[in-house]
Amino acid sequence: MVFGLKKKEQSEGGIILFNNVEEAITAERLLMSAGYEVRLVAPPPALRKGCDLAVEINLVEQTGIERLLAEKKAGYLEIVPVKGRGTLLGVVKVTDFGEAVMVKAGNMKLTFEKESGTVVNVSGGGCPDIPYLHAYLIGKKLTEVRRPKEYGYTLCSLMLDTAFIESLDIWKNNGGRS
Amino acid sequence: MLLVCGAIPDEDFPLTIGPAAFDGESLLLDGKALSCTQGTAALVGAACKVTAYLGAAAPRALLVGDRGTGKGSRSLYEYLIRNLPSISPRVLVLHYMLPVMGLMKRVVESSERCPRKPVLIADAAAMYAAKAAGLALRFDIFTPDHSEMAFLADPEASHPAYVSRHLFESNGAMIPKLALAAHRHGGAAKMLLVKGATDYIVEDGRVVGSVSAPEIPALEAIGGTGDTVTGILGAFIYAGYEFREAANLAARINRLSGLHAAATPFTKIRQIIAAIPAALEDCFRSNFITQQGPDVGDLS
Repeated sequence: MVFGLKKKEQSEGGIILFNNVEEAITAERLLMSAGYEVRLVAPPPALRKGCDLAVEINLVEQTGIERLLAEKKAGYLEIVPVKGRGTLLGVVKVTDFGEAVMVKAGNMKLTFEKESGTVVNVSGGGCPDIPYLHAYLIGKKLTEVRRPKEYGYTLCSLMLDTAFIESLDIWKNNGGRS
Repeated sequence: MLLVCGAIPDEDFPLTIGPAAFDGESLLLDGKALSCTQGTAALVGAACKVTAYLGAAAPRALLVGDRGTGKGSRSLYEYLIRNLPSISPRVLVLHYMLPVMGLMKRVVESSERCPRKPVLIADAAAMYAAKAAGLALRFDIFTPDHSEMAFLADPEASHPAYVSRHLFESNGAMIPKLALAAHRHGGAAKMLLVKGATDYIVEDGRVVGSVSAPEIPALEAIGGTGDTVTGILGAFIYAGYEFREAANLAARINRLSGLHAAATPFTKIRQIIAAIPAALEDCFRSNFITQQGPDVGDLS
C-alpha cells in the first residue's frame, strides 16, 4: 500500500517521484486536466527520492503520462512501480520465419517482411491501444511509421516500441535478408 | 448468455451491447460492421463461428471504443458494475480494456451478485488487472501466453512489462513450474489454458493436459490467434462442455484453423476465423469431439 492512501483504496501500481513539491503539484494538475485519475500521495520510504510528495498513477498508463509531461515540459524524477522491480523489461527475442522476422519484447511481438521491411503482423498484448497500433502499423514500412510510444498510451505500447526499435535495427543492418 | 466485453480501436464507438455475428470479413454488432482485427473483435468472431456450428445462441458483445486513453474502458467497467446482476450471463469473458484494479474488483463483486455466478474468463489486460488486484482465484479461467504466464508467476509484477527477467527468459518447458508458482501465490485462476508452442491445460497449479499438434509456429506471429483461442473456449463452455474438454478443443481447433488457413506470418486473423468451421468439422468427423453439450438452445 502507498503511504497516505486509505486502507480500502486500491493502489493502481505506480507513482511519479519529483525533485520538489511544486513539480508534484504541477504534474497532478496537468494529469487531472488531461483526464487521468491520479492523486497526491507520500511515497513509500523504500522508493523515496527528491521530495516527500509523489503522484499515484495507474502504472499501465506510463507511456501516455510520460509523453504528456514531456510535452508540457513538466519536471519529474522518474516513474516507478510501487511493488517489485523498478525497471522495464528490456530483453528481446528474435524468431526467423524465412521470409519474415518476428521480434518479441515482453508480451508484444512485431513481425516484418525481410524483403521490404513492411510490418505484416503485430501480436500479443492486452491493453486497448494495441488493436489501434496493430491497425496503424500493418502494411507499412518500418522506416515510414512513427514509433509506437509516440501515439500509444500504455505499457503494452512501450513493449511494442521496444520490439519496433529492435526490428528497425535488424532491418537497417540488413540482418534479416542475408 | 455468453457475454464478451472489451474495447475496439475506434474512440468514437459508443458503449454497445447486442448479439454479434461474423460475416467472413467484419464483425457485425447493432447494425454496424466492425473491422475484425486483433483483439476483442477477433475473440467475438471466433466465438460466433463456434456457437453457429453448435447451434447455440450467438454471443452477446459489450464493446466500446478506446484507443488507450481508458475513457471507454472506464465506461465499460461502470456498466458492468451497475448491470451485471440483471444481465446475469452464464459465461462472462473479460478482454481488452485498460487494466484498472479498483474497477475490476468491483466488477467481480458485481458478478458475485448475479442469481447464478457466471463462469468468469479473463484474457489480455482484463487478466492483468485481475491478477494485479489479487482477484485471480475468483476467476474460473485465464488464457495467458508464455510471457503472460511469466507475469502471473511473478508475485510483484503488475504488468508483463515489469516481469522479472529470469521469468521472461524461461523456456516453454518451464510452464508447469511457472503455473505452479502462480497458483501458490494466488496469481492464477482455477484453470489456465497457456498458449504457446505447446498449449498447457492447468488446474489448481497442476498440468492436466497439453496440445502440441498440429505444430504451426507461424500462429504466434499472427495478431489475434490468442484471442481466437479464448473465444472458442468461451463458446464451448457456454455450450455446456466441461472446462477441461473445452480447453482441449479450443487449443486443437485453433491449430487446425491455422492448418486450414495455410497460416504464414503474413496471414490475417479473419482468415483464421473463417477456417474455424472446417477445423470443427475435422474434430467432429474424427470423433475427437466425443461429448455433445446439453441442449444449447435452452441456455440463458
